Order: sequence, then structure tokens, then C-alpha cells
Amino acid sequence: MKPLRHEMILASAGSGKTFALTDRFVALLAGGAKPERIMALTFTRKAAGEFFDEILKKIAGAASNPAQAAALAERIDAPQLGCADFLAMLRAVTGAMHRLRLGTLDGFFAQVVRSFPLELGLTGDFEVLQEHAARVERQRVLQRMFARTGGLAPAQQEFIEAFKRATFGREEKRLGAQLDGFLDDFQETFLAAPLREQWGNPARIWPDGSPWFEHEGKLSDAIAELQAALALRELTDGQRGRWATFFAALPTWAPGMELGDLEYMLKNALAVWPALEAGDAVLTVDRKKIALEPGECAALARIVAEIVGGEMQRRLETTRGIHAVLRSYDEVYHATVRRAGKLTFSDVQRLLMPAAGGPRLAQGDAFDDEAQRLQIDYRLDAETDHWLLDEFQDTSFGQWSILRNLIDEVVQDTEGRRSFFCVGDVKQAVFAWREGDPQLFQEIYRHYNAMVPGAIEQRPLVDSWRSGPPLIEMVNAVFGADEVLAELFPGSASALWNSVWRAHTSAVPKRNGQAALLHAETEEERWAATLRILQELKPLERGLTCAVLVRKNATATALADYLRHYGHLPAVAESDLHVCTDNPLGAALLALMRAAAQPGDTLAWEHVHMTPLAAVLAAENILYPENLTERVLGQIHADGFERTVEAWLALLLPRLQPDAFTQVRARQFAAAAGLFDATGSRDVAEFVAFMATHRVRDAESAAVVRVMTVHKSKGLGFDVVVLPDWEGQTLESRRDGLAVAKNEEREVEWVLDLPPTLFRSADPVLSAHVAEEKADACYENLSLLYVAMTRAKRGMYLITKPPGKSASANFPRVLHATLEADEAMPVRVGQLELEGVWSAGDPDWHLAHPLHEAEPTHSEPAAESLAVAGLVQAPRRPARRPSDEHAGELAAAKLFALEGRGAADFGTAVHALFEEVEWAGPADGAGLGVKWAESGPATAEALACLRAPELAAVWARPAGAAEVWRERAFEIVLDGAWLTGVFDRVVVERDAAGRVVRATIWDFKTDRVETEADVAAAVARHSGQLNLYRRVAGVLTGAGEGAVDCALVLTRLRRPAVIPRN
Amino acid sequence: MARVMPSPRRHFLPWDRPLLPQAAAWLAGGWEGGAPLDLSRTLVLVPTRQSGRRFREALAEYAAARGQAAFPPRVVAPNTLVALGVAEDTAPALESLLAWADVLRGLERGELGDVFPAGVPEGDVTWALQMAQQLLRLQAALAEGGLRLGDVAARAGADFAEQMRWAGLAELEARYDAVLAAHGLRDAQAAKITAAQAGAATAEFDRVVVLGTPDPLPLAIAALAAQEKVVDVVIFAPESESGSFDEWGRPVAELWARREIALGAFEDRVKLCADPAAQAGRAAAVARSYAVPDGLVALGVADPEVAPLLHGELARAGVAVFNPEGQPQRGEQLWHLLSALAALAREASFAHVEALARCPDFLHWLRARIGAGFSPAKFLKQLDDLRADHLPADLAEAQRHADSRELALVGELRRLLRTGEFPHNAVAALAEIFAARKLDLMRDADARLGESARAWTEVLHACAAAKERFPALGEAGWWDLALQLFGDTARAVEKPPGALELQGWLELLYEDAPHLVVAGLNDGRVPDAVTGDAFLPESLRVRLGLKTNAARFARDAYLLQAMAACREGGAVAGRIDLLYGKTTADGDPLRPSRLLLQCADAALPARVAFLFREPELAAETPAWTRAWQLAPRRAEPPAKVSVTSLKGWLACPFRFYLRTVLKMESVDPAKSELDAMDFGTLCHAALEAMGRDEAMRDCTDAATLREFLLAKLDRAVRRRFGDNLALPLLIQVASARQRLGQVAEVQARERAAGWVIEQVEQGFETEIAGLVIRGKIDRVDRHRETGAIRLLDYKTSDTAIAPQAAHLRPVRGDETPPPWVLVELGDKLRAWADLQLPLYRHALAAQFPGEVTCGYFNLPKAVGDTGLALWEDYTRDLHASAMAATEGVCAAIRAGEFWPPNPHIDERLDEFAELFHRGAAESIAWAGAAKGGGA
Ligand code: SF4
Repeated sequence: MKPLRHEMILASAGSGKTFALTDRFVALLAGGAKPERIMALTFTRKAAGEFFDEILKKIAGAASNPAQAAALAERIDAPQLGCADFLAMLRAVTGAMHRLRLGTLDGFFAQVVRSFPLELGLTGDFEVLQEHAARVERQRVLQRMFARTGGLAPAQQEFIEAFKRATFGREEKRLGAQLDGFLDDFQETFLAAPLREQWGNPARIWPDGSPWFEHEGKLSDAIAELQAALALRELTDGQRGRWATFFAALPTWAPGMELGDLEYMLKNALAVWPALEAGDAVLTVDRKKIALEPGECAALARIVAEIVGGEMQRRLETTRGIHAVLRSYDEVYHATVRRAGKLTFSDVQRLLMPAAGGPRLAQGDAFDDEAQRLQIDYRLDAETDHWLLDEFQDTSFGQWSILRNLIDEVVQDTEGRRSFFCVGDVKQAVFAWREGDPQLFQEIYRHYNAMVPGAIEQRPLVDSWRSGPPLIEMVNAVFGADEVLAELFPGSASALWNSVWRAHTSAVPKRNGQAALLHAETEEERWAATLRILQELKPLERGLTCAVLVRKNATATALADYLRHYGHLPAVAESDLHVCTDNPLGAALLALMRAAAQPGDTLAWEHVHMTPLAAVLAAENILYPENLTERVLGQIHADGFERTVEAWLALLLPRLQPDAFTQVRARQFAAAAGLFDATGSRDVAEFVAFMATHRVRDAESAAVVRVMTVHKSKGLGFDVVVLPDWEGQTLESRRDGLAVAKNEEREVEWVLDLPPTLFRSADPVLSAHVAEEKADACYENLSLLYVAMTRAKRGMYLITKPPGKSASANFPRVLHATLEADEAMPVRVGQLELEGVWSAGDPDWHLAHPLHEAEPTHSEPAAESLAVAGLVQAPRRPARRPSDEHAGELAAAKLFALEGRGAADFGTAVHALFEEVEWAGPADGAGLGVKWAESGPATAEALACLRAPELAAVWARPAGAAEVWRERAFEIVLDGAWLTGVFDRVVVERDAAGRVVRATIWDFKTDRVETEADVAAAVARHSGQLNLYRRVAGVLTGAGEGAVDCALVLTRLRRPAVIPRN
Repeated sequence: MARVMPSPRRHFLPWDRPLLPQAAAWLAGGWEGGAPLDLSRTLVLVPTRQSGRRFREALAEYAAARGQAAFPPRVVAPNTLVALGVAEDTAPALESLLAWADVLRGLERGELGDVFPAGVPEGDVTWALQMAQQLLRLQAALAEGGLRLGDVAARAGADFAEQMRWAGLAELEARYDAVLAAHGLRDAQAAKITAAQAGAATAEFDRVVVLGTPDPLPLAIAALAAQEKVVDVVIFAPESESGSFDEWGRPVAELWARREIALGAFEDRVKLCADPAAQAGRAAAVARSYAVPDGLVALGVADPEVAPLLHGELARAGVAVFNPEGQPQRGEQLWHLLSALAALAREASFAHVEALARCPDFLHWLRARIGAGFSPAKFLKQLDDLRADHLPADLAEAQRHADSRELALVGELRRLLRTGEFPHNAVAALAEIFAARKLDLMRDADARLGESARAWTEVLHACAAAKERFPALGEAGWWDLALQLFGDTARAVEKPPGALELQGWLELLYEDAPHLVVAGLNDGRVPDAVTGDAFLPESLRVRLGLKTNAARFARDAYLLQAMAACREGGAVAGRIDLLYGKTTADGDPLRPSRLLLQCADAALPARVAFLFREPELAAETPAWTRAWQLAPRRAEPPAKVSVTSLKGWLACPFRFYLRTVLKMESVDPAKSELDAMDFGTLCHAALEAMGRDEAMRDCTDAATLREFLLAKLDRAVRRRFGDNLALPLLIQVASARQRLGQVAEVQARERAAGWVIEQVEQGFETEIAGLVIRGKIDRVDRHRETGAIRLLDYKTSDTAIAPQAAHLRPVRGDETPPPWVLVELGDKLRAWADLQLPLYRHALAAQFPGEVTCGYFNLPKAVGDTGLALWEDYTRDLHASAMAATEGVCAAIRAGEFWPPNPHIDERLDEFAELFHRGAAESIAWAGAAKGGGA
């Protein structure tokens, strides 16, 4: 085949990323690649599924349509191919469907781990922990750490110390919440940086030394010196007051406390810090300057360093404390959870990372790449020649470090048998919080081209097949305004953005539409404007798709409700809904369960009684907590939560005549209960916790306004998009939490619990770090806006508040500055006139899409008749197992006795011995006709029975023609039921003509029957079954039941007991 | 040279009608009735146990139609066949497991590095047992092809990459065999292989038939091939298809891989459903469309996700359903009781007691032992109270605080569990628990318990036997193992008359209902996919001659063809519906089964377009609708309240009603540390003691005060929580100590400044507007010189609070509170949020008629902020306003004014949040409190 270039595609939004990927896939096939040797990885399983569907559709289209075949052949540079070739290709791909390597990165990693468990120190298969399970595990680990039955274990002592340090000077009284918070916020950081020296280590943070820790001299001397010096100076009263306040506050302040009266002077001193250190500072106090003498400078510097250094020390200490807390936790967690084969996806990934010493998979130089690849290929039943990576901007450095060695080899392959291809858009890097790393793209490009010059080609795609010209105009105006952006975001954020930006073009120049920036002051007004626009455009009635994009899930839920409620629009929040608790029914059901399990929970009990469940309880005669506890706990333990819930719903719903929404929630509640049952737990508290956090995504449905977050809209396109949620604080705000500094190789250099702004901005290292974080945040926010603004095909409406005077670079400001939209003006959208600042395109564009009748949505299967008429029923009979069961009551304890099982063994053994006996003669011992090798209680019993005179008739061959059935199974239809059973022993006698004249059923009973009363009881117990047997024998012998006798053989008593006919 | 065995004889039963009746007739041969249909000397191999059951039923039916009954043949599935005729010394499953665990536990860290490159955790029992199970599974997989671990390296060929690893595994297996041999046992798989080679399985039969079994185990075939009887192979396919099957009736893989599957009216029969719920809905709809579905329609489910949904769907529609696979005992009541007992046996932690206490059978026992006086609800409440008040670590600790018969019985049960050895202690404990119980096996619930009990006893029996050979597991280990074995046992369920069975894919060949609906026809489900096995990748399976994916595909292609042909083949009327999903329940994409693509090449593009289309979208979701408003019980307003509750009324009268009148209070079943109230109470106890102690009142030495306070705190903590504080408590107590230590400093200063504690915990009652208010004043100080009085309340909240800020809050623009709540403070309008300190002053007005100051003694978490916060500018006017507000509040409470709720309460801090959805007022149908206001 023709050697393929390695390619990196920089695909702008809407430029046909999937199209490029699928073309590439087809090109590989056309070049002779086997489908199962192409590894195509993306981030979500949904995307992987769509990718596959697209490939098939593309090939199927080309296989059946010559024009499509020609176009495709052209694009993949294989003009010789025609329909027949594509048909063969289609067969090959579908035939290899189960072996295709189309999936997610997570899935691929999990598969590798699954194939190398022992290499990775796992026992065998592992379970991927889902949200609820992970929470339960966390609680268990904490309980384990907390439990104490004797003295304090050293690890516990250590933990307490660590915790004290982590909360330094702030005596927390709620440990649980605090710890949960630590784990939520810092656990991933800990796993990325497990080493003690990475946390709160001044030598790493300030490798060249920190000014705060290096000031000599006693503090008290410095204070005295400065006070003395100031006393001699000419100062205003205001200034004296400031100084006095400062000195008064100094002794009471300790690190960790609010600065209070210290703040003013500290701030001013830090403002001139370098000069202060240099011994030549002019300090502003009470709006007047004081030129300090070198001695005064030194003294003040000493005092400032004490304060700042003190706070820094405290933060270092806290950081180390947090690390120690996390380490204590992780030790227990590792030993009890990961070792037991319960892993999160990030655990899976970490197992494979080179630093973790993974399965010779990514150990680079130390291992022969070829052999390593072969081993992976062998274990995974797959050899990979070609790599296709999607959404590359979201790949994390960790993920890349795993793939790197596998792909290095490909890129170095000079024969062109193997290839590498990736697609991404660093302008859509909105997953930095998931470690997505937009820098990788360029790094890899440089890396490979340095390794093999010209190895990789980069190709930008800037033609949008999605957005019409007015939309592209707006996108270009906002994101191509390099100077404005550089001014708003000086530094690396705008530099990176401007370096990757390429002006977009619309590949659908005839696509008419409108892009506009509108104004509305409050959130309520923005929502109202959203509703008005949708009511004006009527996209759904015109067969257009429509979305409203917001930034938070909660907003999506609320806004969708708003649109449904006030506009009666079919709006669906594609956010995760807490379906079990967001409505009265679910809350009441949970209260019911709690009231049952915790009879002291008067809140739950009263709650239930405020609901229609009260009437159900009354009708069920559940009047006291007592009754409720017994009833509900009994149900839960017998049948699990789902069926318990179903049972209560069955009692409640008929009284309620519930609305459609409540019915949906009822179903969802029961289904969630079913999921919980799968965990095997019967614990009500766990159940309640599970249900409270259980979330369900509203179903994607036809002809609805989809309200979702920008993150979820990634990869999607809609005819109409409204963007009403772009307010908020500066784009540069960094995420809260610890500061984590990484080096080039993305290894964590240091971690620090950052001190407040005043302190950190005075420190060059920390302020540089914060600036970097801010730049990253800013870049990510720009990406978010870019994603949002590139979803629309025809109509895009941004609604923000006017930027106002604030200088901070928030979204409204970015939009207004880049669009140079200073003057408010009326913007027309259809017949509406709205306040706005910018508009392009045709306000009446929607009229080209005529309104049409609402299509009947979705036909219920019940509507059509699914039954086929005139079928012949296959025979189905109730099965009847003649059971040995005692009718009536039975002592339960007997069922649990081990001896019972011994008796059963004994019985089986005796039966087996009897089965060997055809006929046995008179009880002379010799004529028994058996030779039993083993002796034992069963043999003794059997022999005794053979010898017992009272049982002679059982074994004796009758005169005349006779046969014996031993342990004979039968199948029969009796009284319309199918009956299966086994005869112990039946003696069948025939007349000369061969007709059966008599049959005798002997049924062996080896249990403890000793008294006459026992005998009578045994006969009573078994007569039902044996009279049935009598009828069976009647049929089988053809002699009728009248000719069949039936008796028990009581082996203990060595006598028979006749079963009376009924 | 080996004996030359006779080739099997193949017979074809046409697939234009169902298999079952044909098969019965074929096996009956020329039998006409008159005598029983005696097939007892025949061995019949069928695909599964369930199909065997079906076949025996068909035989009964066949005989009945001729007025007779049958002595049935021995009907076995392949895995039973290979177990026939194994030698007596075959190791039971449990012994094999323990033997493996023995071997693995004996390994040294670096041993067998080719098998365990990451090393072996020496002596780790859990690891050993898990690994043992893994190796047993591996042995079983190999034995299907007649192989053992030791055979692999040689069989796989010299060019095989993992030679060393398998050599290591062979070495392990040799050790395992040796351990078994030392106990006179032999590995079960080895025994099967030997028996198969000897052809022992068929020894006691005259005739051997392989009936409609397209996929017997290779080992089963080997067993049949090794014996001398001629085997009849009955193939469900027309004679014309004879080339499509091999001599054992297996579909020829190469042929079926490509052949077209004839499915008439494809697009009508094959239905795309969005997700499992949609598949279940569709299948259920078909079943519901028949008045009596059983026997007319059959449901096959190839996707395990669909089965429970379909079950629920049908159950809701009133169609009886039945899962022939049975339910694992793990879901049964007994299993949960047993795991609670096992936990209690291992450790008498309080959590284990709580879990056990919620097992109905245990509660039954308590009732039996204690008699009519026993109340489960009271007992559970007692446990909750114990947890809330004392956070007991274990049973003994709980018993220290509650002298309860129930807890004593738990103790008794635990002693039983720990007397003697497993399993006898377990037996004794259960005998005790069920001592007084009578079961009526005709009752469903009792029958289930009986069935569980039997299965459990079986397990214990096996354990007792195994323990004699392999004792080294430890009590907890045996419990775990027994529970696991018991949990995995399936509880066989009888099919209720008329119930529809939910059958697995492999059962459907024997299904004879004319209308068949199969759900879950997705790739990976049918055919099922085996990928990425850590030991047996597909390439190795091929080398070893084990069942391959290609063979699975051929089998499933054949099954689908036969299922469709016998319904739509023309001889009898019928229909087949095939459902497949677009996504899983989690929304992950699914693909249609490859079987559905087995069409002529020319049809493939259209077929692909049809199968891979988007599903119809679900109808729109209904808008949020309130199912009901809550109707709170109408109770009379209280006659007496505490001072602190007034704050609650001011914050929200409705929540006051819930809290104070209806006394609604939730229980935190997971409480594991002090809550704010506990924390305060502990600190208060020490502070009160300080105030009561003559010497301390006059003490000005912080160190002495500190020592005293800490000693009192420790005593209070010990009295309430015992000596072994759990970790969170240790940390919390440390925090309390820190705060009290700071109090000592402040107290020493205050005393030195002349302030002497005059009274502590001074109780009072006062009536205002007909409402009695009671309270307790933490502390009253008098200045030694000036005689000034100040009233102090200790506050242990996290941040220091100022009295005025706590008592007066800003007024929101949109609210219109009653005028008596408002007060002008300087130029600002404020509303009373609390009335505690004014009421203290009011209550002690007679006692201290002079000027009185009041305030807080704060013990916040920032210890620097510890100290007094006095209400300095508390004026007479302010006091008058406060008293007016108090009058207003009291009158309102007496008048039953509890409406409307405050809409501005932060949901995260609202103890009643669960009652409210989209607005507190909107959630409630308020009818007022009960009238008549008691005395
Ligand atoms: S003031 Fe001195 S003498 Fe008095 S109690 Fe305190 S320490 Fe003892």
C-alpha cells in the first residue's frame, strides 16, 4: 500500500473533524489495512459509537452509490476504487465488528490492565468503582481508620498529629466533614504527588531562598528600634495613630488569624518591599510619604518578614499536614480497596503510567519496545498498526505518557506500514480540570519532528460546515481580535490563543441566519429574552433544532423548567436530575423507609403522615411505628428495595391518580431502587444515601429545546442556539484549593496551601505561579466561549448584561470589546425588537423554514396490535413435583441442624443399597443375593431390612411372572399437570397373558420412626404422595390404580406400613 | 494403536416446525402406547439443563397423547455428561479451592516470577483465595478442551511466547495435585478428563443420543468418541443441510461465518429500540397483546440488562413471570441474617449490632425470648439513642449505658457464635435463633426460608468436611467462604402456572411457542464475546483447540436460523421478533448483532443503513408537577417553650411548628462524631463545674483553672463516651481542650479584674402573654467591688459572635414583618432574630433590680478570639423593644400563628429541606394549628 503520512489535524469547530477521521479510517482500509489493526480512541463511548456508525454509513453509501463512491475515492486518494470495492470493504468491516479497536482511552487502559493483572499486582479481574460504590468505600476506609477498641495505634496517633497540623490553629470540631472536604479537594493531587517532599517544602518552592525566612535579628529589638526611631520623627496625628494601631496589634496577632489592624501598614510596606529590603524605602502612611532611614527600613523589613514568614510557615505546615492526612488515608484505602480489585478509572490509568512502573508497558528505554508491543498484542488479541486519536486537546499528559511508547515506535517506522493520526482543537480545551492538556499538541509535533525530521504533518481545518456566514463573522470578530485580546489578557493566555487562531470561513455560504449580541440586565430578564426569542422564531415548529447553552447544570435545570412553565415549550434540561428527591413522591418514599428503619425519626414519621401515604398506612392498619418497622423491614429483607417500593407504589398510586410527571418519577424511583439492590445491601441508611445522590439524565427526545451546559454541547450542532449565561467574575479567576506547580514533564514540583492575596502577591515565586494559573483559567474560559459560539448553524443569540465600568475581563467585556460594540441599539429578531449592540445576518432568516403541522410524535407500541392471530398454543402444563414435604408445621431449627443432612446422606446410602437388590430370598443370610463390600451403618441397616421377616414380602420374587422397578423415574401427565417422580421399588406381577394383575409400591423411609404414633404420623404424612404414585403405577402398568398396593418400608422398625387408599 | 471407534449416525429433523414434538416422536421410535414408553436405558445429551426439562415434558406429553406415561431417558447437559463416571476420589470443589489456597499461601515473595511478575504477597489468605478461584476457573476453561495447566506449554507449540509463564503454572498445578494427593484426592477436572478418555460416561446405557445440541463441550465429544456404542446425533435442520454440520451436529464454522440467514420480512421483524427500557417495553407489549400469553409467546433475553426491566414491566402489567435460572441466595433474607451474624462473630462493634437488629428473623427471636413485652421499634430506637448519645464503639460499651435485655441477648448470641468451632458454632447460633420458629412450608415465605436453610446446611456440611482436611483458614475466613458459597448458590424456583419464562439465548432452540420475541440482539451479547483474557487470549484458544469466537458465531448463526425457520418456515404459523438496543442503560452505544448482517452482499448497504439508523426518540418528558401538597398534622400550640425556641419562631414560624409543636426530629444513623450540640454540652459541663467549685471561683491562676476544666471535661467525656474514644472524638475532645484552655486564661484575667461567678445554670420560668418560657442562665457574675451584675451565655460555635449581631438582623426590602419585631437602631431598621439575653435579663429582673449587663462567653475555633462579648450598648429602649417583641412572639405562638414559612432559609442549613420542593409555602397545604390552645 501507499505509505501514509503521520498527521495531526487542527480542526476548528464544525470543520468536519469526524469527517476527517472517518475518511482517514476508510483510507487506511483502502490501503489494505485490516480493520482490527486500526486503533481509534476518543473520550466518550458515545463518541466512539457515533464514529463507528459514521464509518459504516460512509462505506455503505459508497458501496451503493457510484457518485458517492467516486467522491470518497477521490478524497482518500484512491481513485481506482468503485462501489464493488467499497462493498467488499463494508463486508470486511462488519465482519470484524467484534474485533474493531474503536473505543475510549479509559476503555483501552482498562483492557490492558485486565490483561496484565498479575504483572500489575492485581489478583484478577477488577471492578471499576462507580460513584456510589466509591463513596461507600470511602466511608468504610474512614470507619476503619477511626475504629478503636484498645490503645491508639501508631498510625492513628500519626493521623491525629497530621490532622492537627492540617487544620493548624483552627480547631475543627467536625472531623468528618473536614476530612471529606480534604478528600474531595485534594485526593487526586495527592495521587499525582504522593511524596512528602512535594508538599509544603520551602526548598522546592523557593530553590533560591525565600526573603521571608532570612531576616536576622530579634523581632523585639526590631520593634523597639522602629518605635524609638519613629518617636523622633515628625509625623501627623493620623500617621501616629496608624503606627500606634499597628504596634498595638502586633503582639496579639498569630499566623492564621485575620490581619485586622495589621493589614494597613503591612500592605503599604509590602508595596515598597524591594526598596525596604534595599534600605531605601518611601512608605506611604495616611496618604503621606515617609522616607525611611536604612535602619528603619531594616527594622520594618524584619517585622514584615516576621508576619509574612509566619503566615508562610503556617501554610507550609498546613500543607504538610494535609499531605500526612491524605497519606494516612491512602495507605488504608490502598490496602483495603485497590488491593481488593476495586479501582477508579484514574487508578487504572495510574497503574499504567511509567512512574508507577507499569507492566513493562511504558518503561521506555529499559525495555525492548518491539517485544513489549508484541506481548500487549498477544494478550489483547490485537495488533495495532494504525493509531487514530480524537479530541486530542483533552488528552492529559498522563494518558499521553502511557500511549507515547506505543506511538513512538509507529512514528519511527520508516517503511510506512504503520501510521499515526490525531485530531483536535486546542481552542476547545475546556477540560483542563480533568487534566486535559492543550499544550501537548504542539509539544508532540515538535518532539516527533525533532526525532524524525518531517515525520508529522500538521493540517489546519478552518472551513466550518456548520455555521453560516453571519455566525462565522461574529466568531472571527471575537476570537480573531488579537490586539484586543492581548490587551485584555496580557501574557501567555492571549499569546497562546492568538498563535493558534486561524480565521474561519463558512463552507456553507448560502446558509442564511443571524448572529446577535443582546442586552438584558438581570438573569430573570435574560431568561425572559430567551423565551421571547424562542417564541418568535418557533424553531421546533419549523423543523429546526434548538439549544440553550448555559454554564452550570443547576442553571440548565432551572432554565428548562422556566421555559416549560412560562412558555409551555418542550424544554429538556440535559443535566443530571436527582429524580429520587426532586419531587414529593420520592421524598415521601424515602421518609417511609427511614421511619421504618429508624423508629425514632419523628421527622420522617410526620412527613409520611403529611402525604397521601397516611391514608395507605391507615388502610393497611399500620398505626404505630411498631407496625411500620415490622412491615417495611420485613419486605426489604425478603424482597429487596425495588419490590418493596413497587409494593408501596401499587398501594399509593391508585389513590393518587398521578400526573404524568409523577408517574415517570415513580418508575425512575423503582428503577433506582433496583440498581441499589444490585449492590446487595439491605441497609436503609445506605439506600437513602444512594437514592439522594442518584442522578438520571433526561432522555434526549425529538423536537425539544435542549438546555445544557456548554461542556455537554461539545461536538454538537443546532440550528438555533441561545446563550444567556455569560456573566460572572473575571475570566482569570483561578480555581480554589492548593497551588500545584508542575515542571515540563508535568511532574509535581511543589504543592502549597496558598496564603491570602496580600501575602502571595508579595512573593515573586507565588505570584508568578498564580499568574500562570490565571492565564490557564483565562485560556480555558476563552475556549469555553469559543465552544459555545460555534454550536449554531443558523441563529445565534448571545444575551449578556452591559459590561459596566468594572475593569475586570469578564465575558460581557470580552464580547463588547472585541465586537467594538459600544453603542446600544435596537436589534431586530423576526418581529421582535430587542435591546442589543451587535447583529449580523438576516433577522427574518427563519421565515425561509416554513411552519408545519406538528408531526405525530412517536407511536406507542401498544397502539399497533403486536399479537399474531390464529397461532396454535404450544402445550404448557403446570409442573407438579410430588414432594416429600411434610404438610403442616415444621420446627425451623431442624432445618439448620447438620445432623439432618447426615440423616439425608444415610437415607441416600440405604436407598442406593436397596437399588442393587433385585430379589432376595428368605432371611438365611446367604440367599440375600447381595455382596456389599463396605460395611457401615447404612449397610447394616440395609442388611437388617433384608433379613427382617416382616419385610420378606418386599424382596421376595412373587410366584408367576414378575418384574421389579428399582429407583425408577417416570414422567406423566396427570390431571392436566406434568408430574415427575421416582419409584423406590415396585413389584409388578403379570398373568400368563402378560397382563399386569398386581403391582406393589414399596417406598423406603429411613428416618427416625420409632413409636406407633410415629408410624401413624409417617403414614399420614406420605399418603398423599403415595396415593398419587399409586395412580401413576396404575397408568404405567395399565392395570389401573385398583390393582396397585402401596406401603412404606420403615427401615428403623424393619416393618412395612400400608398406605390406605383415599 | 487406539481402537477404531464407530462414527456417529446423523439424523435430521426438519426445521420448518418446532423441535420438541419432533424430538419426542423421534426418540419414541415406533412406540404406539400400550406399555410405558421406556427409555430408561438411553442417555440423551441436550444443550442445557432447562432444555432437558423441556424435553422431558415433551416426552410426558407425547406418552400422554397415547394414554400412557414414560420411563424417561437420562437427559443431561454437556457439563453433566463429563462428570458422569468420574472416580470416587474426586476432590469436591471446596477442597480444590483450599488446596490451591494452600499452595499459593506457601509461595515465597519472588517465587515463580514468570507467573507473578509483581511478586506474591506472602501468607495473604485473601489473596490466596482470590487467586485460587482464578486458577480454578482457568482449569475449568482448559478442561473443556480436555487440557490441564500442565498441557498448555507443549500443546501451544514451540513458537509460543508465554512458554515460561505456562511452565510456571504447570509447576503450580503439580504442587496443587500433590496437596490433593496427600489427602487422597484428585483434581475434579483431571478426573473428568480421565473419565472422558475412558469413555466411562455411557457405561450404564444401551443407547446414546446427542439431541439438538449444536455446541457440546469438546470434552463431551471426546467422551462420546472414546466409547464403543454408536452415537445417534439428531440435528435440527433439514436433510438438505447435511453439509452444514459436522459429524457431531456442530455447525461448520467456515460455512456459517458467511452464509445468509433467511429472515423473511427483515425490516418488519427486526426492531431498533433506544435503550434497555425500550426493549423491555416492546417485548412486554407483545406479551401483553395476548390474553393468555403462555404457550403462544415466548420471551428470550440475550442482554442481562434487559431481563430485570422486562421482569418489572410484565409484573406491573399483571403478567406472571418466571426466571428459570433461579435467584442467587445472596438476595435472600437468610443470607443477610448470616452476614450480620458473621460480622458479629468477628467483632462485636456497635455497627454490627445495629445491622443485626434490623434483620427480621433476629427480631423474631428477641420477641420469642423476651415475650410480649418486646417491641422492635423501641429496641431500634434505643439503639439509635445510644448512638446519638454515646457513640458506643462496641456492644460492651453500649451495655454500659443501657441495661437492656435485648443487648444482653445479643451478647448471648455472640457467645454462642464464639463457642466452639465453625461450623458448629454457626449451627448452634442458628438453632437458637430459630428455636421457637415453626415453618409452614405451604406458605411462600416459609418455603423460601426452608429452601435457604437447606442450601446453607449443605454448604456447612461441605465446609465441615473440607475443614477436616484444610483446617488453616481461621474462623472469619470460614465464615466468609461459607457465605460466599451460599450466596452463589442459585435458589431454584418452581414455575408458577401460566407464568412466562424469561429465557436465555441458548435455551431458545427448545422453545416451541409459535411467537418468539428475542431482546438484546446486540454485538457482544449474541454471539457473546470473550476478549482480553489474561491467560487465554483468543489466539491461544485457537492453538489449544478450545471453543473459539468463530465457533460461537457459527452456533449462534445456526440457532437464529433454526429459531426463525421453525416459526416462519411455513409448516406451522408463527412469528419471530428480534429486538436490539442502540445504547445500554448508561447510554453507552451498542451495535446490532453481526448475525443480523448475514445477508447477501448486494443487500448489505441497505441492511447497514437500516440497522445503524438512529432510533425514534422518546416522547417529550412531562414538566415538573407537584404530586401533592403536604398536609401537616394539626396540633395545639404549646403552653410552655424554651427560651431558645423563640429564635426558631422568629427565623421561621412554620419550621418552629414542625420542630417545637410536632416535635419533628431526624435521626442520623451514621453519626460517628460529636455534633455541635454534643460539643457544647461537654464544654458546658466543665464550665458549670468550674462555676460550682468554691476554690475555682476565686482562682486567678490560669494553669490551675485549666487543669480543673480539663479534668472535668475528661470526666464528662469518659462518663459519656467511655475510655476508648474513636478517632474523631479524640480530635474533637482535643479541640474542646484547646478551647477550654483558653477559657482558663480569660477566666483568670476576669477574676483578677474582680468578676466573681455568683450563680451557674440558674433556671427560671416566666409567663409572657400566656406562654410559659423556661430557660437556664449559664452564669451570673458579680463584680467584687462595684457589685455590678452580668449574665453570660457560653457559645461554642466556630466563630465568635457578638450579642447584638446575633439578636438583631437587617430587614430585607421585600418583607413585611409584624411591627413589634422591628426596632430602629441608630438610623437602621432591624428585626429581632433572637430574644435570649433580653429574656435572661427579664427573668432575673426581680433578683437583680440594678443595672445588669449581659453577653456571651465565646469559645470559638480561633482560640485567639476566646473571651467575653458583652452587649455594651443595650439600652432600656432596646430592652423595652425586646420585651414587646417577646410579647408579640408569645401571643402569636399561643394564637397558633405558624404561617407562612420563611422562603429565605438556606436549603443546606434547613433541617426540613426534604419536605420542600420548589418553595416551602408552595409545598404545604396549611390548614392552621389546632384550635383550643390548651392551658
Ligand atoms: S488563685 Fe491560686 S491559690 Fe487560688 S485556686 Fe487559683 S491557684 Fe489556687
